[in-house]
Amino acid sequence: MSTPAVQHTLVDSRGSSCPGPITDLSMAYRRSKVGDVIELWATDPGVTSDARAWSDRTGNPILSLEESDGKIVVVIEIQRR
Amino acid sequence: MRQRVLILGGGSGGTILANSLDPRRFDVTVLSESDQHLFQPGLLYAAFQGSRARLVRDERRLLARHVHFVVDTATVVDLEQQWVETAGGERMRYDALVVGTGIRTDPGQIPGLAEIGARVGDYHSSVARARTLWEHLDGFRGGTIALGQATAICKCPPSPIEGILLADELLRRRGLREQSRLVFFTPYPRPYPAEPMNRIVEPILEARGIEVHTFFDLDRIDPEGATLTSIEGETIDCDLPIVVPPFVGAPITYVPGDTLDENGFVRTDQRTLRVLGSDTAFAIGDATSLPTSKSGVGAHLEAKVVARTLSGHQANFGGRTHCPLDLAGGRATFVAGSYDAPVVPAPPSRLKHLMKMAFARLYWLSLRGVLDPAFDVYFRLTEPPVTAPGAG
Ligand SMILES: Cc1cc2nc3c(=O)[nH]c(=O)nc-3n(C[C@H](O)[C@H](O)[C@H](O)COP(=O)(O)OP(=O)(O)OC[C@H]3O[C@@H](n4cnc5c(N)ncnc54)[C@H](O)[C@@H]3O)c2cc1C
Repeated sequence: MSTPAVQHTLVDSRGSSCPGPITDLSMAYRRSKVGDVIELWATDPGVTSDARAWSDRTGNPILSLEESDGKIVVVIEIQRR
Repeated sequence: MRQRVLILGGGSGGTILANSLDPRRFDVTVLSESDQHLFQPGLLYAAFQGSRARLVRDERRLLARHVHFVVDTATVVDLEQQWVETAGGERMRYDALVVGTGIRTDPGQIPGLAEIGARVGDYHSSVARARTLWEHLDGFRGGTIALGQATAICKCPPSPIEGILLADELLRRRGLREQSRLVFFTPYPRPYPAEPMNRIVEPILEARGIEVHTFFDLDRIDPEGATLTSIEGETIDCDLPIVVPPFVGAPITYVPGDTLDENGFVRTDQRTLRVLGSDTAFAIGDATSLPTSKSGVGAHLEAKVVARTLSGHQANFGGRTHCPLDLAGGRATFVAGSYDAPVVPAPPSRLKHLMKMAFARLYWLSLRGVLDPAFDVYFRLTEPPVTAPGAG
């Protein structure tokens, strides 16, 4: 049996205020598998601390977290499911 | 010629919209799966206080006389050809379509949850399930109750916190709190999903000795021993699991196929409420992909926006939410926000609780539109202040 290809999922939560981005991240996480990458776009500044705490607690590392012009991009690798 | 408006779903949004359209200009049909209308907020009190209040009414009697009411299930919606097919084999054509089919519980997503729901009930599915849950709470003599939402999508976001606080109140009143452990679990980083409201909620949970497990993404339940396991492998053992099940949209096939998002919600323009990619279709209420709380208040306000648009006026939805949150002990607060005004915590009070309870009586009247002038004033007075976007 072949293993399904690793997926890079873009989750666009721009314009959605707390808890919108973390809701979208949590739902994308449920649909993911180990090896997948989730890229979350948000404009709510609260997402930075929420995503860090989420990563610590679920054991899925943040590959990058960048902010420019009010757009925050968090890239997470799913290592534990 | 009158415009043919077809409304899918005779719930809060669909009923309000149908009653808001001028019969001289619109030929209105409501197509709904059920001939009954359920006042869903009442499920909370049926489940946690054993309330026997009548929660269901005949939908036909809630609709204005000119509205055609068809009891059947929409199965296919073709937005390009402008028709809807039903389980009964009808094909219905329209000039304007409004989707208001809500969301429903889907316990099958979590192994073990269907068995648990059938045994102990829940408070988001039906009156029968809520009564089953009350029987279990009523018969509870101590042990562990674990309550929480299975996934991050929840109809009425305050309802999980309301459930655990009402369970706490019940056990205290019965002198059973000492011999009971109450556990609240949530996939969010904090007990209340919206951070500003959490500032009110978290200290209350702490004061009432309720244990909180955050970042708990429910993966499965062992129905025999009632052990809840998260995706991360954390477990909660309990005697009475009260789980808000996952939710999905109505099982309708849409053309084009990308009308639904990955959660099964209708992709809807946040302001105009048009179904994305369509000029003739709108969506309102829980069925939509809007980034707002899934609430009856939202469905109501969105129905009014669509009614105005169809009538030829310029109208936009501002993302307004206004959900009551029962904190038990006769106190409540409101979770109010909009696209441009993040949720602002409102101090809990007895008056707010009285307002929540009064609304239960006014609900049926509100569907008819007779309270609209009062609602307009109320929403204007309680409009949350606009601050920097996304400051929540
Ligand atoms: C415990 C609980 C407490 C709540 N408390 C509050 C509260 O305090 N305040 C608040 O504002 N909201 C509250 N809500 C939420 C509120 O009830 C819903 O958000 C609201 O009913 C949504 O309205 P709607 O019109 O989108 O969908 P619904 O009212 O759910 O109606 C959907 C309709 O579509 C029909 N339908 C479904 N599929 C089909 C199909 N394929 N074909 C035809 N018809 C179909 C259904 O039969 C139903 O009539 C609560 C909900 C619960 C469960």
